[in-house]
Amino acid sequence: MFVLLRHLGRVRRDVALPRRSGGRSLAIRHVDAGSCNACEHELTATAAPRYDLQRFGIDIVASPRHADVLLVTGPVTTRMEAALRAAYEAMPEPRLVAALGDCALGCGVLGEAAELAAPLDEMLPVDIRIPGCPPAPQAIADAILATMPHLT
Amino acid sequence: MSGDAALAPSFDTVAVESTEWRRACERELEDGARFCGAHAGGTGGARNWSALFARGSGTRIVTTRTDGDQIETIVDLVPGGQWDEREAHDLYGLRFDGHEPLRPLVDHPAETAAWTTPVEGNGVHQVAVGPVHAGVIESGHFRFHVVGERILHLDPRLFYKHRGLERAAEGRRLADGLIFAQRACGACAVTNAVAYAQACESALGLLPPRELRRARTFLLEMERLYNHLNDLAAVCAGVGFATGNMAFAALKERALRLNQEICGHRFLFGSVEVGTSRVVVPASIAGRLRGGLRELREDAARVWREVRFSASVQARLGGVGVLDREAAARLGAVGPTARASGLGQDARRDGAGLWYGSSFVAAAPAQASGDVAARLEMRPIELEVSFEILDELLAEPIEAGAARPAGPTSPTGVARVESPRGETVCVVEQRLCQISRLRLRTGSYANWPALAEATAGNLLPDFPLINKSFELCYACVDR
Repeated sequence: MFVLLRHLGRVRRDVALPRRSGGRSLAIRHVDAGSCNACEHELTATAAPRYDLQRFGIDIVASPRHADVLLVTGPVTTRMEAALRAAYEAMPEPRLVAALGDCALGCGVLGEAAELAAPLDEMLPVDIRIPGCPPAPQAIADAILATMPHLT
Repeated sequence: MSGDAALAPSFDTVAVESTEWRRACERELEDGARFCGAHAGGTGGARNWSALFARGSGTRIVTTRTDGDQIETIVDLVPGGQWDEREAHDLYGLRFDGHEPLRPLVDHPAETAAWTTPVEGNGVHQVAVGPVHAGVIESGHFRFHVVGERILHLDPRLFYKHRGLERAAEGRRLADGLIFAQRACGACAVTNAVAYAQACESALGLLPPRELRRARTFLLEMERLYNHLNDLAAVCAGVGFATGNMAFAALKERALRLNQEICGHRFLFGSVEVGTSRVVVPASIAGRLRGGLRELREDAARVWREVRFSASVQARLGGVGVLDREAAARLGAVGPTARASGLGQDARRDGAGLWYGSSFVAAAPAQASGDVAARLEMRPIELEVSFEILDELLAEPIEAGAARPAGPTSPTGVARVESPRGETVCVVEQRLCQISRLRLRTGSYANWPALAEATAGNLLPDFPLINKSFELCYACVDR
């Protein structure tokens, strides 16, 4: 255990992100609406050492009822449409929607038209757009931090 | 290690009358062949139905035309074919005589009773989880039948992410179809793309030269590296061991950065092409990469030692989520899952068209107990193998190369490639270099029924741990 902690102690955050200030927080609920799983890998990485978004008060929360931001990946399949809408409906106001990755942004989506519901921005009001296939953890971190204007 | 395995995947096709179908499959199994997938094809009234059987590095396709969409089931012979038949029913309208009840798999009917197993008794109730989960997890639904905390049975319901990728690829040129296989799954992108490329090349009668085989083997092992590090982090998270989780997550990040440095993409997207390879690692970079991988190897071994000897972690792993050898064989489990249950099977051993060589031996855990502990232990064991392979490969530069014509073209091509989760089988049917059918049966697809079986009898709070010890993809199952 101590060896591990020592090992982790040597892992440095090596990505230039804005300094923390203000003591505010942002709660995010992620919904996978048909992604290839690469966006999920990169989103997970933002909570890992080297990025460590939690130090800014940013957290992935278990329920949409606790969330400020609905973070959506994937092109929105017909089978995920109802669950996605239900998650959005469950969120308290004010709420933001973030489209993570090119699929959620409706760019270069692969698949059969009959299996895809509609582009995310035709379904929900998209406030935050994070392009990339997949977006790198730093791009995700930058985009999320930009929604917290109290950070300088 | 050397390239002395078969130069390219080989296969043959046996066409039988629909009345002979079942018997023909039975004969393959009696001959010791291993079932590795079944798929429907054709259009309108002319449906065909094919099963694949692995024999060494070769594959036999037993195929038949269906009479009025009705065909005899083979699930009693190969329980591992259950999902294949259910999928063919939902997507191609085939009906299987004797597969009762034929529950929907891809289709999502509203009423729960239509797709769940009836489990009744005193105090039995259902716990529904998903498709949206509490963490950052792919979408899928689990229906647990429980008494108290004890799971009696699990009905997984996937295909929430079904994008119709196989159908969307139909009609495209073979080279343009690769992206459909690759983007089926971010974490298996290389495996899926190599399987697709090899299937196309076997249909086109192309043979990969040394450079191509080395480049693809290199990419496959780089993919396995970050996946296994990810799985180790995931199991640590599954038992609430945050330090282990973070330590392995940091190591995975290093592996992803090496990918970025070498191929310009953290998940190696776009590195595999049909008939050619443009990945180049010149000697100077190969030397540096080798050094980086050696450091990563040492650090991974050090972190694993800490997890291995952490009593509080180990206490959670033994005897949980057991998939015994008989069940693994019966359900057609593949990959680290099968090896942890004592099935010494690895598609890399046959490794046609790659650089593993005939001396490759499937890794085995100290004790093939088939539980979470054994499946977890497979990852560090296989990491060592991958590091060793990469070290040997990088002793020489990785060069570009193109496959050369060596035989006649064929309407079908098949390839089997070992992904981090097990054997992935790709079938491409083509006409004039246009895709008429693409089928991708990934290691995750083969293993999901085994995961459901290993869950029965365990406690509900242990499910995340059991799930993470398999760490199966949803994306490349749903396609």
